[in-house]
Amino acid sequence: MWSYLGRRLIQVPLVLLVVSLMTFAITRATPGDPVTIMLGMQTSPEAAKAMREEFNLDRTLPEQYGLWIGKVLTGDLGRSMRLNDPVTTLIAERLPISLQLAFAGMLFALVVSIPLGVIAALRRNSWIDYFCTGYTVMGFALPNFGLALILIYVFSIKLDWLPITGIGSSEAEQGGLWKHYSPFIIPAVALGSLQTAMLTRLLRSSMIDVLSQDYMRTARAKGLLPSTIVIVHALKNAMIPFVTMAAVQFGYMIGVQVTIEYIFAVPGMGSAVLNAVVNRDFPVIQGFTLVIAVFFLLMNILADMMYALLDPRIRY
Amino acid sequence: MPSKMTDTRTRPLQFRGSLALAVQQFPRNRAATVGFVILFAICFAAAFAPWVAPYDPIQIKLSMKLKPPSFEHLMGTDHFGRDVFSRMLWGGRTSLSVGLLVVGFAFMLGVPLGLASGYFGGKVDNALMRLVDAFLTFPPLLLAVALVGLLGPDIKNVMLALGLVQAPILARMVRGSTLAVREDVYVTAARALGASPLRIVLSHLLRNMVSPIVVQLTVVFAAAVVSEASLSFLGFGTQPPAPSWGRDMSEARRFLADAPWMFLAPTSIIAVCVLSINFMGDGLRDALDPRAWRTRRSVGADA
Repeated sequence: MWSYLGRRLIQVPLVLLVVSLMTFAITRATPGDPVTIMLGMQTSPEAAKAMREEFNLDRTLPEQYGLWIGKVLTGDLGRSMRLNDPVTTLIAERLPISLQLAFAGMLFALVVSIPLGVIAALRRNSWIDYFCTGYTVMGFALPNFGLALILIYVFSIKLDWLPITGIGSSEAEQGGLWKHYSPFIIPAVALGSLQTAMLTRLLRSSMIDVLSQDYMRTARAKGLLPSTIVIVHALKNAMIPFVTMAAVQFGYMIGVQVTIEYIFAVPGMGSAVLNAVVNRDFPVIQGFTLVIAVFFLLMNILADMMYALLDPRIRY
Repeated sequence: MPSKMTDTRTRPLQFRGSLALAVQQFPRNRAATVGFVILFAICFAAAFAPWVAPYDPIQIKLSMKLKPPSFEHLMGTDHFGRDVFSRMLWGGRTSLSVGLLVVGFAFMLGVPLGLASGYFGGKVDNALMRLVDAFLTFPPLLLAVALVGLLGPDIKNVMLALGLVQAPILARMVRGSTLAVREDVYVTAARALGASPLRIVLSHLLRNMVSPIVVQLTVVFAAAVVSEASLSFLGFGTQPPAPSWGRDMSEARRFLADAPWMFLAPTSIIAVCVLSINFMGDGLRDALDPRAWRTRRSVGADA
């Protein structure tokens, strides 16, 4: 297993190299000049020239890429052209917020999907099973920003229970527990809806699968408590694909937050990329996509490792 | 005896027969049939929007602004007094045609790449799959946002970006199926008989992957409709005043309290479309897979 981990980790830099080349190529091959966008049309040629030199944009493309990737290897992702801050500082500000939101979304998905999937599997073709099927079908069909608007309308406008904005604001950071965490509720539910549907469906089908195994009958014949059978014998085995899927989806959530961040004005990774794209802020686009790719790759490797740890039959 | 052998072998029964059977099977799945009918109705209404829509989708009429749903305006009116129902129909033209074009684009790019990668293996496979890996390390929506944002907000770029995002997923799937089918005995037999690689790929490999490819294409279609709406929602797709499901939802945010029908109409239409496509995909998967025909009774329970 450790050698497999080693082999997987060796591949990471290779994939990242391709990723970095791709983002570089995409930013440079598309229309739109960052200097004109930053400084405006009426800027003096000298100022534009100075900015071009500062960010190496006057050099040839291979030189630009070489200089950038050389710095990346030393941990320096360059400076934002618009905000003038180092890209690493921006990431340090925004990554924790995105992680918190993704974590909240995943927490919601787990809290709903585990009981729902288990009960639906135990009581097949009951009303709760039909509810489970209907819920997962809707979870797959409703886009997260549509669900977000519905939740805002119901819980924030009509009932006035939950706030809409406030994630990452200083007011919320200094407030109490409710002030701090309540702004996360609606975005997290909207963000996690697709994952909830996926995980519920997966857990239901793997529970049904496990429950039909021979050792379940043996456990019942031994006279074990039904709760012991369900939790120790069935759930533990059914959780194996579930846990790995949850890990992969968590890595994925960092990137699909864009629409949610846009609605709730969350200063996270997605909205940073959005702004950087509009402003052609090349160092930010390149740095952020690289970090998101690293995160995604590591979560995938973690998922594979957990598979092997949880299921002793799997040996890499 | 020999003449009988050639008879059974040259009869074009194999493929057409299974297709006809699949067409026969499909309506047995009720959810899939309903999905197909609804999707067809929406596509039909959107395609003939100029004749079906009761009002001009762009004409501003401030005296009629923010009116709730009524008989004159089935889904109410927006902040410019435009009929929401008419805008949904016109918006559907864009969303659904983008969806279909993305399906076509992903098919034309993804399937040949996947086939080449799986069939030839070796260096071709390695190079292509590393490229696919790189594409797949980006969250699809973020990649589409970056591509469209950099290329410029335009519906053609949305199509291009979504096609580029979806093609690698399809390519990887086709590669997997190719690897599974490549070593089958009938492929070896065809090769032994001297069939050219092109013939093997087209008439032996591809034919045995119709089911997974068609199902994946319905997934691509649903994803493209949602992604187009997401991009327009973020301001990167259709530009106002042109009607668009995603863009109209974005505008509706300002009138959440006063005119909930403005966001409910596009949200439900997108959900109904995706739902219908998903049901249709499930039905197609069962109809195209002869092994699933006998166990039809459990369809509802295993959705």
